Amino acid sequence: MGGDRDTGDRYFEPQVETMPRDQLRARQEERVVELVEYAYGNSAFYRELWDEHGVHPRDIRSLQDFRARIPFITKGMVRAHRARTGDPFGGLLCVPVEGLTSVSSSSGTTGDPEFFAEIWEDAPPLVTAQVRDLWELGLRPGDRVLSPPGTFRNLMDPGYQALGAVVIEVDTWLGKMNEVVEALRTYRPAYLQMMYPQMVELEHLAEKTDLKEAFSSLKGASCAGQPLSRKMRERIRDDWGIDVYEYTSAADTGTAWECREHDGFHLWEDTVFAECVEVDEQGGWRDVPETDLGELVATDLDNRAAPLIRYRSEDLVRLSGDRCGCGRTHARMWVAGRRGDETLVQGRSVVLRDIWLAVEDQPETASGVFQIVRDRREVDELRLRVGYDPGLTADVDALAGRLGEAVRERTGVKPVLDMRTEEDLLKTMTSVAKFPRVVKS
Amino acid sequence: MARADTLARARTLDRPELAYLVRFPTADGMRDMELTWAELARDTDWVTARLREHGLAAGQRALLTTSGFEGFWGHAVIGALRKLKVTYGIAEAMGWDHRRTSVFHRELDPHAVIGLSAETLEGLAGAADLGDMFRSTSLVLARPAAVPILRGVGVSASLISAVGPALALECPERCGAHVNGAEWRVCEREDGQLYVAAGEGRASLLPETPLGIAGRVATGRCACGSEDPRVLLGDADSPYSARS
Repeated sequence: MGGDRDTGDRYFEPQVETMPRDQLRARQEERVVELVEYAYGNSAFYRELWDEHGVHPRDIRSLQDFRARIPFITKGMVRAHRARTGDPFGGLLCVPVEGLTSVSSSSGTTGDPEFFAEIWEDAPPLVTAQVRDLWELGLRPGDRVLSPPGTFRNLMDPGYQALGAVVIEVDTWLGKMNEVVEALRTYRPAYLQMMYPQMVELEHLAEKTDLKEAFSSLKGASCAGQPLSRKMRERIRDDWGIDVYEYTSAADTGTAWECREHDGFHLWEDTVFAECVEVDEQGGWRDVPETDLGELVATDLDNRAAPLIRYRSEDLVRLSGDRCGCGRTHARMWVAGRRGDETLVQGRSVVLRDIWLAVEDQPETASGVFQIVRDRREVDELRLRVGYDPGLTADVDALAGRLGEAVRERTGVKPVLDMRTEEDLLKTMTSVAKFPRVVKS
Repeated sequence: MARADTLARARTLDRPELAYLVRFPTADGMRDMELTWAELARDTDWVTARLREHGLAAGQRALLTTSGFEGFWGHAVIGALRKLKVTYGIAEAMGWDHRRTSVFHRELDPHAVIGLSAETLEGLAGAADLGDMFRSTSLVLARPAAVPILRGVGVSASLISAVGPALALECPERCGAHVNGAEWRVCEREDGQLYVAAGEGRASLLPETPLGIAGRVATGRCACGSEDPRVLLGDADSPYSARS
C-alpha cells in the first residue's frame, strides 16, 4: 500500500500545486474580493476598522485595490478589541459561535492565547492544509504514523487518516523517548511529528541506542515550533538517517512546509495571500524585492470562521514566487527570525542566530537549549539562560566561562549566564509547540 | 474552497479499514489492538448517547482536555460533540497547559468540561478556587484522580476514563462509569483487578486481559436505564494515574 516516493504521483492535487502563477493570482483576486465583502458584512472588527479608514467593499475590485486600501492588522489590534468589547474572538468572528465546529488557540506563551475559530467536516483546518505536504513527504494510504505529542491546534489524527494513514497511539511527549524508540521498532511507522525537546532527549539516547536502525522505517519526520540549528539538522539527517521536514506557521493562516528539495517553506497560496513588506514607523509601507527580508503579511483565503486579513505576522522572511525544484509554483519563504527578537544591548544589536552558534559550539550545550531573558528589547546587559548536559559537564563554572567568551566573540557582548540542566530548562515549556527563545523572567 | 477540495480528493483514496492501533497498559505490560472505522463509528454513537443523557445539546459549548495519544477515545468524543452540534474548545490534559484550560473556561463559558486531569487541577488551583470555577459548569467529566478533588470542593464531577482500550463514562446517576456492553466485556476477579475482553463484534481479538487497575464492576440495570456494566475504580494510583 505504501506509496513510492519516486514515482510520478508526487503531487496530491497536481492542478493546484503546479498551477501557473497568473492563474493562481486570478484565483486569489477573486477570493480576496469576495472575502472583503464577507468580512465587512459579518465581522465587527473589520467593519469598525475599515469604516475608520474610509474603506468599503465596493472600493475593492482587484488585488491592487485591496493592497492600496485595506489597512494592516496586528495581534495587538485584535487583543485591544478583545479587551475593549469582551469578545474572546476579538471581533474577527464572521459566524455565530454556535456555527463553529471547534476552537483551538495559540500557545499563549507570551500572553493570553488567541483563539482560532474552526469550521470543518472531515478534519480540522490546520492539519487539512498539511495533507499535500504529508503526501509530498511520502505518506500514503496504509502507512502508519505515530500520534503527535499534543492537541495544541486540535486533534491531528483526522488529517493523517484522511490520507489513509493508521495512527498508532504512543505518548510522544517529553520523557517518553525510550517508548517511542520501542514503538518505532515494533510498528515501523512511516511518519513521526517531532518537536525540539524530543530531539534533545533523543540525542541523549543516541549514545546507547542505534537510532538509525530505529528510525529506518520512516519516510520522513516533521519538525516545527522553532528552526532547527545547522548542527541539529545534520545530526538528524546524517546520524539518525531521518529525512526531516521543517515547517513553520504561515502567519497563523496555516502552515508552510519544506518539500523534498528542502529549499524554503511552501505557502499554499490558494489558502493564503502572502505579502512581504517593510512597514515604517508612520505606517507607510513598500514591497521588498524578492532578494530582501521583509515582514510576512498574510490574508486567509480559506477561512469562513474568522479570517485574518492583511495580518502582520512579525515574521521576517524572504519570499519568492520562483518555481521550486519540486515543480510547484506556490511561493516559498525563508524565515530569518521574528521582529522584536533582536536585542539591543547598550545599543549593540544581538540576534538569536549568533548566540545559537556560540551555544552549539560547546559540547556540553550542543543541543542549543537557551533563552534570552529580558523585559524589554533595549537592555543594559545580555542575560542568557542556558541548558547543559550534566552527563558531559564536569565543571559548570568552567563551561560558563568558556561559553561566555564564545558568546562575546560572536556578538561583541559579554553575557550574564544562568546555567541550568537541559532537563530543568525544557521543563519550563508551556506548549507542545514552542520552546520560547525570548522570555521575560 | 481549498481545504474542501483537498478533502474531496482524499475521499477518493483507497483507504484501509483501520483507523488506529490502540496501545494500552495491562497488568503484564503494554499491548495493542486494532480499531476500525466501523468500530469508531459505533463508539462515537455510544458516546453521543451518553453525552445526550447528560443534557448536552445543539448550541452549547464544551471544553475537551486531552493528549495526542488519546485519539482512540478523543476522536469518538469529538465525533459525538459534532453530532450533537456542540462547539468544543481543546487544550492539553498535561498540567503545564492549565492556563489555556483556564482561558478557555473563562472565555467560552462551556456547558461541559470533558477530560479534566488532576495535573490540570493542580495547576489551576494555584490561581483559582476550583469550586468557584467548576460548580457552575453543568457537566464536568473528569479523569479518575481528578474526580475526588472536584467532589471535595463541591463540584458534581462524573468520571471519564480509559479502561484498557475501552472508554468508561459515568451517567448522571454517578454510580459507576458505564462501558459499552455491546462492544466490551468487563469484569472483576478475585485479585481485585479489572479485566477487559473484546466483544464478538470487534475485529481485533482481545481475550480477557487483566488491566492492573483495582476496581469493581456493577452489573444490572442502572437507574439511568442503561444495561451497560459500570466500572467503579478503586485506586487512583493505577496505571492510569499518569495525566489522570
